[in-house]
Amino acid sequence: MKRRGFIKNAGVLTSSMFLSNELLAAGSFVAGPKIRVAIIGCGDRGVGIMNVMKQLPEQFEIRAICDVLDFRLQNALKVYTSRDLKSYKDYREVLDDKAVDAVFIATPLNMHFEIAQNAIRAEKHVYLEKTMTYNANQAFELIEIKKKYPAKVLQVGHQYRSSPLYYKVKEMIDAGYLGKVTQIDCRWDRNGNWRRSVPHPSLERQVNWRMYKEYSGGLAAELLSHQIDFINWAFNTQPDQIYATGGIDFYKDGRETFDNIQATLRYEKEGMIGNFGATCSNKRDGYLFKIKGSKGTISLLMNQGMFYTEELNSKLEVVDGVTGATKITWNKDGGAPILPEPTKDGTWYALKEFYSSIITNKIPDSNIYTGTKTAIAVDLINKSSYSNTIQNWLPEYNRFDRG
Amino acid sequence: MRGLRWRDSCLILFIIAVFISLTSFNYRQPLKRYQLSGFAQGTTWQLSYYASDSVILKSSIDSILLEIDNSMSLYKPNSLISQFNMSVKGIKLDSHFKKVMEKSFSISKETDGVFDVTVKPLVQAWGFGAKASNKTPAAAEIVNALACVGFRKLELKDDSLVKSKSCLEVDLNGIAQGYTVDVLSQFLEMHAINNYLVELGGEIRVKGIKSDGSGFKIGIESPEEHENTSMKKIITLNDGAITTSGNYRQYKTHGNKKVSHLINSRTGYPIDNEMISVTVWARDAITADGFDNVFMNMGMKKSLSFLEGRTDMAAYFIYLKEDKSIADTSSAGFYKFFNN
Repeated sequence: MKRRGFIKNAGVLTSSMFLSNELLAAGSFVAGPKIRVAIIGCGDRGVGIMNVMKQLPEQFEIRAICDVLDFRLQNALKVYTSRDLKSYKDYREVLDDKAVDAVFIATPLNMHFEIAQNAIRAEKHVYLEKTMTYNANQAFELIEIKKKYPAKVLQVGHQYRSSPLYYKVKEMIDAGYLGKVTQIDCRWDRNGNWRRSVPHPSLERQVNWRMYKEYSGGLAAELLSHQIDFINWAFNTQPDQIYATGGIDFYKDGRETFDNIQATLRYEKEGMIGNFGATCSNKRDGYLFKIKGSKGTISLLMNQGMFYTEELNSKLEVVDGVTGATKITWNKDGGAPILPEPTKDGTWYALKEFYSSIITNKIPDSNIYTGTKTAIAVDLINKSSYSNTIQNWLPEYNRFDRG
Repeated sequence: MRGLRWRDSCLILFIIAVFISLTSFNYRQPLKRYQLSGFAQGTTWQLSYYASDSVILKSSIDSILLEIDNSMSLYKPNSLISQFNMSVKGIKLDSHFKKVMEKSFSISKETDGVFDVTVKPLVQAWGFGAKASNKTPAAAEIVNALACVGFRKLELKDDSLVKSKSCLEVDLNGIAQGYTVDVLSQFLEMHAINNYLVELGGEIRVKGIKSDGSGFKIGIESPEEHENTSMKKIITLNDGAITTSGNYRQYKTHGNKKVSHLINSRTGYPIDNEMISVTVWARDAITADGFDNVFMNMGMKKSLSFLEGRTDMAAYFIYLKEDKSIADTSSAGFYKFFNN
């Protein structure tokens, strides 16, 4: 039994090497025509998407940008400009533009539902930034609308899990490398007020919409939703019970959303506890994502990950050395890289998936159903922390569950 | 004078007595296991040795490794090997580089060019070099690369390695790790350590026994897709080196075809035979490391006949049978290493 252990450990990484050559290889796009896109919402995220899109000129052509704020539009024009590019202040005009096949919605969260449903009705493909919707009811309604337009793609912007690293992690979980997972530790910390500079005081709420409950789901929606979404998808599950706490503990600057939160998610069927936390006043951990099982731990950054076996010591007891072609590299603290090199930005892979989903008419992995689950979980975290109550996953939330 | 001599003799006797008691005391001391490990040559190394005290400093191992890296690492732009590759006519070698070249030429001659350190332009053409690519090279590209390949186009003149064509380059990655393991082993022996295991990047050399009197147990890694077969082996060694070369981890996909990173230096094309991996035992690691690629290249039948009757080398093979099932076999000399 022990003897099998050491080969098994080596094996994880053997297949990762296989994967790396194929999945990390650039240029393996499906062939197809260029998709003409509009960016609705040209803040940091919208412009960020435009920057990545510029690297994919064979796949995407930006035909329109849209924002309610003039300075945002001007800023976006600095990133990308072309003869055919149109600027809009009203998103409904974008939806009327026949030269636009797909829209990227990167607006404040409270606008996601309205714009997305109208975009689908206007028969556009939709890339909808996370979190998908502000609450559960909007998510369900969006599903109903989307059902009438099966040929249109709706992808939710949980971009990190589009990367080969996160696919590999799911594969490792499925293959049992971690054994029985009981704990998940996630953080997304920063030391900063999370505000953007405001050109004029009258624009405070529009620019710093993340600070206000009316527009934003706070740290849970904007940051932790990525990790929550990955756990839902990787384990094909959702939390059954949620207890969250938080407060405006450092930046008492008039904000309404919490600058310090912690949520405990109970996954009953899997027998797992997920700890998701974020603060704006300590950046030591930054992005932390650990999945802990009886046989090993996976520790993830956005673009790289390590696997730590629980069996390394017993392996050393069995054999004094291992000979093999291109040996697995265990690092100084006993971990082995999951992929041999860091991946690109998650958005690059997400755009690639969006493109191939449109061309091949398939449902993307980060879709309206997984997006719904995550939106509900975020909504429950906020309900719990704002009302100091334990929130339960209601059976009716699963009515659209597709696994 | 006499008195002094008598006193001298007494002193000498006393010293001898102390020495004997100390050494016999030392002898009774159980040998303890000491372990060092680190990073070098783009991979990890570890060494375990059994001694009554820790006599080896990690810093001295690191400085040896650095010296070798500065000599033969292709990843260092200023290493001697990088200088050689960029040179027009060749350069003067240091002792590490020279020893490895001497051994390389000897293996090349013995294998009639199956082993060839000048294969780099071909490796590059197939997209495995510093500039990775997934394109199958055009035939003309291979012909061009072949013009810059061939160990006979190089010559060792005293301490210098001389090119007959400026486009010749050498890549010692297939043998330098084995050499390094030998250098570290010699370093341990210089410090009177006679029970040790040295490993760098999966290339291993051992000598002696562990504190419990048993030999060193070495696992032979097998490709993951062949797990849960009988392919997993553990061998026990008291002396010699063991290295592995395999096709299972480094390859590229060109279209639907898997392309090996091992290129035949005579044809210019990646090897395409039944071999999955070869594990070689030899007295020293440079020999084992040099020959593991040779056997991958030769294929099963030639390898077995090459090894027939040899007592200085043995090998264990994992290979694909015609029906696509996986099998393993060993040359006659290898069986004695298996525990069960």
